[in-house]
Amino acid sequence: MIEATELTKDYGNVTAVNRVSFSVAEGELFGLLGPNGSGKTTMIRMLTGQIPPTSGSARVMGLDAAKDPIGVRGLVGIIPEQETPPSFLTAEEYLRFVAGIRNLDSVDERCDRWFDLLEFGDKRDVLCKDLSRGTRQKLMFAQAFLHEPRLALIDEPLINLDPIMQRTVKDFLRSYVQGGGTVFFSTHILEIAEEICDRIGIIHNGRILHCGPVGDLVGSGRHLESFFLDLVRGDAGA
Amino acid sequence: MPVPDLFCAMMKEEWRMHSTIFGSLGFALFPAVIAVFALLGSLTLPLFADVFPYDVVALFAHALFLLMGVMVGSFGLMGREFMNRRFGQASLIAYASRSLPVSERRIFGAFLVKDTVYYILLYVLPFAAGFAAATPFIGLDPGLAVLAFVSLALAFLLGLSAVCFLSTLYARSVALLAGTVAVLTVLAVAAFRLGAITVSAALPPYAFFLDPKVEPLAISLLLILVPAAASVLFVTVDYPDRTKRFKNSLEPLAERVGTLGSAHFIAKDALDLLRSEGGAGKVIFSFLLPLGLVWVCLQVLIRFIPGIDPLVVFAVLLGVISATIYNWLTEFDSFTSYAFLPVKVSEVIDAKLKSYALANLLPLGVLVLAAATSGGAGTFIPALAAFASVSAYTLAVTVYLTGLHPNVMLYHACVFLRYLLAISPALLLLIFASIFDPAYAASSLLLVAPAALLLSRGRTKWQAWEMPGY
Repeated sequence: MIEATELTKDYGNVTAVNRVSFSVAEGELFGLLGPNGSGKTTMIRMLTGQIPPTSGSARVMGLDAAKDPIGVRGLVGIIPEQETPPSFLTAEEYLRFVAGIRNLDSVDERCDRWFDLLEFGDKRDVLCKDLSRGTRQKLMFAQAFLHEPRLALIDEPLINLDPIMQRTVKDFLRSYVQGGGTVFFSTHILEIAEEICDRIGIIHNGRILHCGPVGDLVGSGRHLESFFLDLVRGDAGA
Repeated sequence: MPVPDLFCAMMKEEWRMHSTIFGSLGFALFPAVIAVFALLGSLTLPLFADVFPYDVVALFAHALFLLMGVMVGSFGLMGREFMNRRFGQASLIAYASRSLPVSERRIFGAFLVKDTVYYILLYVLPFAAGFAAATPFIGLDPGLAVLAFVSLALAFLLGLSAVCFLSTLYARSVALLAGTVAVLTVLAVAAFRLGAITVSAALPPYAFFLDPKVEPLAISLLLILVPAAASVLFVTVDYPDRTKRFKNSLEPLAERVGTLGSAHFIAKDALDLLRSEGGAGKVIFSFLLPLGLVWVCLQVLIRFIPGIDPLVVFAVLLGVISATIYNWLTEFDSFTSYAFLPVKVSEVIDAKLKSYALANLLPLGVLVLAAATSGGAGTFIPALAAFASVSAYTLAVTVYLTGLHPNVMLYHACVFLRYLLAISPALLLLIFASIFDPAYAASSLLLVAPAALLLSRGRTKWQAWEMPGY
């Protein structure tokens, strides 16, 4: 579903992502882990065609993300890290707006499903600007999955969500993957990755330091936290 | 926190906000552009003195600064959403009475003082400086520039103070605002009709400029200080914890405009405009109020320029002012909101153009009303052509130069200069041509071709700007 080859992004003299190669297979839940500023968001923005790479390439669902960014965004679902829904649409109107852009049918059913699953139907007629941060995150989650994409790319999926909703979202992501969907998400919260990911990549200073199944760590008796800290501190000291 | 400290912090914040958006140099050059334009404009005054006597030009200048005060006040009070879209969760000192141990009144008082000092330095001083530099060459007393600085500053503050007062009324009660505006309008119209009040008396800073005596100065100060003090005393902050609920209006609206395409974007634009702070009121402040002033000024102008057709000139100016609707349509939007959806920049721009075309029914209605009430039906066709062409051309220039960011980019000195250079010659030519024969205003249709070209290039340019590398 995702094939990144020597992907590089420079911002002036700063290399945010440095010759990164990896792949994510269909039906996989892949977590990209890294400290703040390690290149996670830049990676997602390149994979979704929001910014072009300086060099290298990324194929997403068979499309070149740099050459056909609109095509990629039409196929996948994306939750950006910071973007908030439009201030003066209600939650329901925003979902209908996205459905209009994506030319979806059965909009009532699609909206109701997400209001029910994420338990914010009581906020459907509230302006987005008046929603709490957690509810806005639910709404962004709903818009990303409204068209039932086969691949979702999510920047910090559980940010601002309470523990109950975090559980709901984690369960949904697992069931989504079991149903044949694919998820690529970034986070710096290691427990989430350890709990739900099939494979992880650890990124630091724009380079992938490790990429492999979470099961390998569990099999070797190591905790992700100590593995991550050793790897990142070792890289920082190198 | 003492008011002087708040004032200093707000001044720094305002500068950093502007220089972050426009770049330090681009923004620092903005007053220089105003000074250069004031200098060049002043140098041409003797050439056009027969057509535009000095006191008429002075009236326009005072009306212009009155409008600037209105616009600065409107933005300061209603611009929070714009800042949120631009910077994410904007956190300005003006909105900080929840988190800081400072009262709303104290913050708002410091905010008004800050706006006064900051924008007089930004707008009025450079304008007066440009005029002062020209006085030796046009045979005017340089002391007149000092007088102009004072009276133009008073005109600016009159606009600022009035809009702050009206906004405070609005925050307290929409009915109170509507009632006050209605009463003031009726009184003003009655006074003009009865001849009990002249234009200079209605604009005391202008009266002070014409005749610098204590009386117009005192009236000006009274009209500035009383509403300003009242707005500080009765200020209330519309906190976002007033949760607003609305039934789904997006799809009914989208269905109505479905044949135009981009229906969901057009519906969203309409809802942004109607539901943002100020609602339809901000259109009154920033659109109908300037038009009212333009109409009043034109009634004065026809006394000095016999050949002028007020409806045609009004239509030309209406076209320019109509383009500010595009600023409103883009104020609460940014392409980053669509960057994760399958949407091209050109699609968003096209949708804005369609929204703009629909919103132009409002100025069209104003033009029809002006023609019907002024007995100008004879020149309605050329006036209509002038309005439509100038509106399209001004919009095209705005889109080409600023894309989806007119509220930001027009403050960049170079962009503003190019905007003025693109608009002013066409405008002046049209107005002069219409003085010879109002029918010549129909030649404005020639502007449609460059408008189409600019829009086409603007789409390509801003696609590349918003999505660099694609």
